[in-house]
Amino acid sequence: MTTTMTSEKALMAHLMRRAGFGASSEELDRLVEQGYDETVDQLLDIEQPNRMSDNIIRRYHSEYSGMMGNLSAGANWMYRMVSTDAPLREKLNLMWHGMYATGYSKLANGKVLHDQIRMFERHGMGSFKDLLIEISKDPAMIVWLDNVENHKGSINENYGRELLELFSLGVGNYTEHDVKEAARAFTGWTIGNTEYMTMKSARDSVWPYGRLSFHFEYKADDHDDSEKEFLGRKGNFNGEDIVDIICEQPATAEFLSRHIYSFFVADEPPVPEWPYKPPRDPEAIAALSNIYFESNYSIKAMLNYLFKSEFFKSDTARFQRIKGPAELVASVLRLTEEFEKPDISMNPMSQQAQFMGQHLLSPPSVEGWHWGTEWIDSGALVERVNFASEHFGNLDAPGVETLVNRILDAGDDIAPEAVIDRTLDELAITEISDNSREALIDFATRQSESAPADQTRRERVVNILKLAGATPEFQRA
Amino acid sequence: MTTASETKTKRISFNRTIGVAAMQGRGFYYPWAVSVADDGRYFVLGRGSDSDPRGTRYTVMNFEEEYFGTFGAFGTGEGESLWNTCTAIDSAQQLYQTDESLHRIIVRNLDGDLLNTWGEHGAGEGQLNGPAGIAVTASDELLVVDQQNGRIQKFTGDGKIISSFGESGSGDGQLNLPWGICVDSAGDIYVADWGNDRVVKFTADGGFIANYGSSGRGEGEFDAPASVVVDEDGYIYVADWANQRVQVLDSNGAFVQLTRGESNDSKWAQEFLDANSEEQAARAGANLEPDIEFNTDDPHEASAHIEKYFWGPTHLALDNDGHLLVVDSNRHRLQVFDIS
Amino acid sequence: MVTAKRNPALIVIQLAGGNDSMNTIVPYTNGIYHDSRKAIGLTESDVIDINGTLGFHPSMGPIKDLWDKGNVAIVQGIGYPVPNRSHFRSMDIWHTAESASIAPDGWLGRTIREIDPDHGNVITGINFGRGLPRALHAKGVPVASVGNLETYGLLPDIKDQQTRELAMDVFSRMYSPSDGVDAVLQEISDTGMGALLGADILRTAPEQYSSSIEYEAEVEIAQSLRDISQVLQADLGTRVFYTIHGGYDTHAGELENHAKLWHELSTAVGDFIADLEEHGRGDDAVVMIFSEFGRRVLDNGSGTDHGSGGHSLVIGNGVKGGFYGEHPSLELNEQVEGDMAFNNDFRSMYATLLDEWMGIDPHPILGENYEQFDMFRR
Repeated sequence: MTTTMTSEKALMAHLMRRAGFGASSEELDRLVEQGYDETVDQLLDIEQPNRMSDNIIRRYHSEYSGMMGNLSAGANWMYRMVSTDAPLREKLNLMWHGMYATGYSKLANGKVLHDQIRMFERHGMGSFKDLLIEISKDPAMIVWLDNVENHKGSINENYGRELLELFSLGVGNYTEHDVKEAARAFTGWTIGNTEYMTMKSARDSVWPYGRLSFHFEYKADDHDDSEKEFLGRKGNFNGEDIVDIICEQPATAEFLSRHIYSFFVADEPPVPEWPYKPPRDPEAIAALSNIYFESNYSIKAMLNYLFKSEFFKSDTARFQRIKGPAELVASVLRLTEEFEKPDISMNPMSQQAQFMGQHLLSPPSVEGWHWGTEWIDSGALVERVNFASEHFGNLDAPGVETLVNRILDAGDDIAPEAVIDRTLDELAITEISDNSREALIDFATRQSESAPADQTRRERVVNILKLAGATPEFQRA
Repeated sequence: MTTASETKTKRISFNRTIGVAAMQGRGFYYPWAVSVADDGRYFVLGRGSDSDPRGTRYTVMNFEEEYFGTFGAFGTGEGESLWNTCTAIDSAQQLYQTDESLHRIIVRNLDGDLLNTWGEHGAGEGQLNGPAGIAVTASDELLVVDQQNGRIQKFTGDGKIISSFGESGSGDGQLNLPWGICVDSAGDIYVADWGNDRVVKFTADGGFIANYGSSGRGEGEFDAPASVVVDEDGYIYVADWANQRVQVLDSNGAFVQLTRGESNDSKWAQEFLDANSEEQAARAGANLEPDIEFNTDDPHEASAHIEKYFWGPTHLALDNDGHLLVVDSNRHRLQVFDIS
Repeated sequence: MVTAKRNPALIVIQLAGGNDSMNTIVPYTNGIYHDSRKAIGLTESDVIDINGTLGFHPSMGPIKDLWDKGNVAIVQGIGYPVPNRSHFRSMDIWHTAESASIAPDGWLGRTIREIDPDHGNVITGINFGRGLPRALHAKGVPVASVGNLETYGLLPDIKDQQTRELAMDVFSRMYSPSDGVDAVLQEISDTGMGALLGADILRTAPEQYSSSIEYEAEVEIAQSLRDISQVLQADLGTRVFYTIHGGYDTHAGELENHAKLWHELSTAVGDFIADLEEHGRGDDAVVMIFSEFGRRVLDNGSGTDHGSGGHSLVIGNGVKGGFYGEHPSLELNEQVEGDMAFNNDFRSMYATLLDEWMGIDPHPILGENYEQFDMFRR
């Protein structure tokens, strides 16, 4: 692999790819000057991010206001991913959405899913315990995992099971009895207007007047109010108590840490394999688990530790993730700056992530999406390559114009190698195989040599940009 | 909820809801504006959604919820549109609609036949950038809110520029992403200055007269007003869009009344429910005005939960029988009020 | 088990939105039908009679012709236990062949894996449309998604021929196996080469194709079937073809929309079969047409709302034409909350197609044994 920039800038590019959606070369220079730790602090500390406002989005997009269908919530989110100055918040939302995957197919309501993501915004960097309680009260989750069917005397185990298996402890760290007891503790945690809301979802009813928003309702008379035994403890537990006990378990700390590690440091194997495959870096997981307990379950503290740790900053972590589709789309659009204002083309844009295999807010199941190389099946790779190429070729986009100008600024007579290195620098592709780099240089050379008279240097640079976006390396983060 | 601060002033009171959600045909899909013809029919302009293009159409109906058909289509071809924004009818009964994505005006007759399409994208004289509100003067000139250019332009019905006024900004006489527009009986012009949270009054020639309202949630305060209409007594009705309410001001601009909306089931809604008895029964057993705490104090949230409230009131119009029509976009209906 | 000269191909057409089966195969002599469909009922003179009590929708002339040849199986009352009226959930159920829980893999993805476990042919299964319907998804199974066959491939926005050749060459080099790259890059490279290869192979299909059949221009389903015909005739080893015809969610304006949809579909299917026949390939393909649910018995004044228990069609030379399953009763006390009751599980149809037509054991794909129809000629 060849490195094309200073180690400080390469490190900053790595941070921005992980904690955000990448950054332009210009922005990276600015952040390097600011300092690494200061940048991490800044990424973690934005309470009121600047982003395209709800009013502006709703002003133009009727459907991102009423949110009836299965595209609006994802497209609305894409606006936020593309425009926010607090990208870590949106990356974290993506992580939580993947972990607590809830889907349109059972809700038939875009807004309730949008509301779940907004809940992640409010609680996603706070206490993990608070987050688990919020998830348990989230109407979309309650319907998705059938807690509306979980009654005193007639339990439905779905939420209890997934809470333990996928949301906190992980397989092997609880018994079937624990699942049942957890389910009993969560009886009564339901939604208001249960019959009408579930009927409207089942029928996909937009009548008579659009969709109704869901709200949480605790039905005390449907709550199993008797003694329960959970993970060796006894008591008349309600949902909050179950969450308390869960959070105290080292298994929870490790499970959460492994997810955070996988999303921000390096792709772990799929979750179903975790009982059989140890973490790539058990020491890192142990360290993160420590922080989890020391900070009283603070996600922010864990992230702060992670981004400043050696295991994150080291070379071994570079490019160890495959960009998820939404991440790839957002990264490209942030570079091209095509959505400074709302535009009617946002729907098809957001749908590109769907064609690449990640339909935001419509995951295939509560397991979410399988990450890593599973994002790259042949159909998806074609979509990914073509998407980047198409957008890097859009000379009307302000960001593309900037990129091209900066590459051309290097001078009229520079050698093809220098043009390629400059391009890779601008796209923050900080490491590239000799193979790819030589192929690109060859392209630049041959393109110049055989250029038709009416082809401008600008157009040739654009072609190089397209091919840089088509590299295998560009698929990685 | 309605409040009033004076007696002997005009007030609005809820009469009925008309319309129902329908992706096509008899009903609306994100209605964004309405024009009233001389014969009393309502021409409801649907924005639809670019993810389901059938909603981008006119639906023709009236106060009694009689249905007269639909016309219009999503697209970039002749007579097609992408982002339907507002509509107006002149004295010759020509129907105008603005498309703020394609930056053009489509002209039809009341049967829906295409008569003309005009409009050029740009910032120059007579060009348009995001045409939003549209209104007709007493002499059948068209006032078009040239939103992104922060100005109002006056055209003939077939698109020849007559004059223009306004510029982007927040000072007196300036506009920030203005949306709705109307003309009163004296010929004065009112603009819903969406980005500045106020209504601005101009003379017929564009001379600044007054600002009404300021940013906020209180009485007489606005958050992103979308539309304004003025009756023969000078009462000003404002679609206070982001506050999800309609406000009434008297002819001096003093606050009179506000309402969050009080919708009930329209005839068309009832017909749907009659054909779906299980859903009707479940609906009857549900509390459609739940008393709950919201996660945010954004009024959009309350309206999403409480079905009778306005949710996205984008346009106001007066019909020929003393009614105020409120286009309730996210609820796919019109709420009709008596004025007395 | 059917043996064909070439490996038999299955073409699956998904009607998205929930086709109103009662206005497709119309019980036009049944008084309850007319009472329930006051606004959108079809009369005896509207329909194309099949057997004196049922008739095809008036737009289905080409399918009636195929019926008369004995090549159309109408599977009635098809569905699954506990019908779900949500488009997405119900379609998921049809895609994954799993109604009790949510499964990530699709039945056709599993089928492709059975046919080609070593991924020897990257275009064993092709979806004609964007994205990958879950039906075709299975971990590790490559499936091409072709939006438009003429333009399918990598970097279609590089149009200049010379630049394009250079670009493809560069792409091929970047994705070629090379030393010193990690396992992940290796995997990305393999996939990239597979995609390039698939595109190269598919490109030959339109080049080899010529036909007297003129499919309807500007009609998406017709163009998709034409693309399928081209690939099938090019003998590229594709066994599973999939495409989606959308718009069947006729809550309003049903008469007009439904007529247009079935005109487009019937004409396209008729043209497709004729195209195959013209080239001696009529025995090589079977078309299955399905939708995620039927619609309610009562109309709503302008259209119909989501229901359950619909019809599927299976069409091809190898098919024994006729009715399979029973027509659901319209009697009020036999309806399921205002919808028609299903009387055969859709997985029976899947099992029949897998076993009798494709020559594959259905059990590993469907997870259970389902009773099969005697639907194919031996």
